[in-house]
Amino acid sequence: MSRADNEPILEIESIAFAYRDKPVLREVNLDLAPGRILALLGPNGAGKSTLIRCICGRLQPDSGRVRVAGNNPLENAAARAATGLVPQQIALYSHLTVAENLAVFARLAGVARKAVDSAVAETVDVCDLGAVATRPAGRLSGGWQRRVNIGCAMSHSPRLLILDEPTVGIDPPAREEIEKLLTRLAGNGLAVLMTSHDLTQLETLADGVAFLSEGRIAATGTPSGLIREFFGARRDCRVSLADPPTRELAQRLGALGLASGDRDALHWAGLLDEQPAWKLQSALPAEAQVTEVRVRRPGLDSLWTRLYGRDPERAA
Amino acid sequence: MIAVVARVMWLGLLRDRGALMLAFVLPPLMFLVFAEVFSGAGDSDLEMRVAVFDEVGTPLTGRIADAIVELDGIVPVAAGSDSGTPSIERLEALVRQGQADAAVWVRAEPDGNLDADPPVVVIGDASRALAAAVVTGRVQRVLQSEFPSLGVARAASLIDALAGPYTEDQQEALDLALSELDPAALEDQDGDTSQDGLVAQRLLGGGREIDDGVSYYAGAVAILFLLFAAMQGAISLIDERNSGIVDRLVAGPGGYTVVVVGKGLFLTLQGLAQAALIFAVAWWLYGIDWLGHFGPWLVTAVLAAAVSAWLGLLLASMCSSRQQAQTASAFVVLILSAVGGSMMPRFLMPGWLRELGWFTPNAWVIESWHGIFWRGDGPAELATGWGVLGATALGAMLISVWLAHRLAREK
Repeated sequence: MSRADNEPILEIESIAFAYRDKPVLREVNLDLAPGRILALLGPNGAGKSTLIRCICGRLQPDSGRVRVAGNNPLENAAARAATGLVPQQIALYSHLTVAENLAVFARLAGVARKAVDSAVAETVDVCDLGAVATRPAGRLSGGWQRRVNIGCAMSHSPRLLILDEPTVGIDPPAREEIEKLLTRLAGNGLAVLMTSHDLTQLETLADGVAFLSEGRIAATGTPSGLIREFFGARRDCRVSLADPPTRELAQRLGALGLASGDRDALHWAGLLDEQPAWKLQSALPAEAQVTEVRVRRPGLDSLWTRLYGRDPERAA
Repeated sequence: MIAVVARVMWLGLLRDRGALMLAFVLPPLMFLVFAEVFSGAGDSDLEMRVAVFDEVGTPLTGRIADAIVELDGIVPVAAGSDSGTPSIERLEALVRQGQADAAVWVRAEPDGNLDADPPVVVIGDASRALAAAVVTGRVQRVLQSEFPSLGVARAASLIDALAGPYTEDQQEALDLALSELDPAALEDQDGDTSQDGLVAQRLLGGGREIDDGVSYYAGAVAILFLLFAAMQGAISLIDERNSGIVDRLVAGPGGYTVVVVGKGLFLTLQGLAQAALIFAVAWWLYGIDWLGHFGPWLVTAVLAAAVSAWLGLLLASMCSSRQQAQTASAFVVLILSAVGGSMMPRFLMPGWLRELGWFTPNAWVIESWHGIFWRGDGPAELATGWGVLGATALGAMLISVWLAHRLAREK
């Protein structure tokens, strides 16, 4: 890669945005270089959608600046042409074939009429859509529709691909195919910005993650770096009980560093240092009706719980 | 359990304002329009715009003209032009152009001469023959009720011709009776048809080898379906908004505006094809001179299709869901078509409803096409209608594009 290839395709500098005097984004800074995959994380209302709208040129930030390929996307069509957006919904014309969809979106994204056929052929090749190119989009399985959804955002060869929950509602094999596709696209030099609630997937897929909280970047870095930074060598420990604990057992669990958030106190969790963690099971009294003891390295879900004070499953 | 399902339906209806309007507001509104038309169609309440021209100017003909003008259900139309005096040509022009439903020409003082042409002529348009018949009936009735001596004099002349001549005594007695004849004596008689030869009816444009209503209904049906098809087509705008396609497009360089304009172009072409199909059938089966008036027809068709397309897109731009748009479009199309003359001729409507019709594209489209095929109107006569349709299409387009731009760039 040349030096120019390493310059960020997306630059966000100190942008702030308020909707009806309510701050939605506050001093957000982000960079994304070609070939990188950045995941934007946060619960509903954290500001992800507003940030994406600013990047797509649909919203004018109150302060700060957004640059896509060096230009303001709100004013510059070339900046918008450098962007491909994959909405969360299946944004396809269901009565058109896959190839026809690719051609339509290529034209609407500014590809010259003469170049459309080659753009479609290239997208079919890159996104591996040859098997379904002649089939109506509306008759494809959910996984294929997700891939075509991505392909339609790629048909004008953007430099920045923005995906909103690209794997929502599909089965694990299809999700794996999407992961492979995104990895391949990033390998070709595409910058990928995505939102997702699939934190396990992002640990392996994303080069970087940025947690948004109340409009601010609460934490940003590589998944492993952030986990190391926040948790060090500690382990994520969980204990599940068959019956509500006695007072003595509850005191014992608390003394080990675990806490329960549920009303019946059946589930206990906490971050323990490595040695106590491995000895957790033997540290529990024999009479305790334990159904599960789990010790694992913290992941992005642990970080989510730490940052937002609730489990990711409850985030949506 | 059955009640629960009914309750769900009730709540669904109650919370869907569009469906509520369609279910409970549209029916009485449509009834109002039809009732206004048909409750007046059977009696003297049916309002007719009539131009009266007394060419003779004697005291008797003046009284006849005044009596016609003062009839209930007659709305007088000035028979003279702005600069000129009334004439038979002017009367015919008023009727042909639809400014008057019929005209009454008092061309001679009625007398007992049976060989003379009828002294009163009702001029109507063959495409609105019903209006001419209604006015003829009313003129005959007023002559019989207000001027009974005229009919009796002609009847006496007929008897004189068939069985006469009268003796001097008989003639004197007859003259005396005629001079003293009380109008009330004949008031109760059914006067819809006159055997006395006082009133003649002349229909303009008759004699063509086509059904006189075809050009009217070709236009009326065409604009009705143009509006329906355009509204349905425009709803795809909402589908694209809800499916995320719009989000995808506004992130690109073309933006959303090109999509809206593209849809407007397609719906206009679709409407043009629909109009062509209807008029092709009218030409093939009913002999309308479509090809002979193709130029003005095409301009009107393009404007009718454009106004339908952009009104549809404007409505879709203003609705947030497909269901809302479908309800609103059904409402709008039915009301525009009923008031604008697509469902029944506007001359049957009361005056206020006729005037209201000018606020609908239907009335302008129907009037333009009818003028082209019936009166042979050219660009000069059609300019106002074309202007109104063009301005409406342009206005709807500008607002739709502005709404699309606002959706794309939420500043």
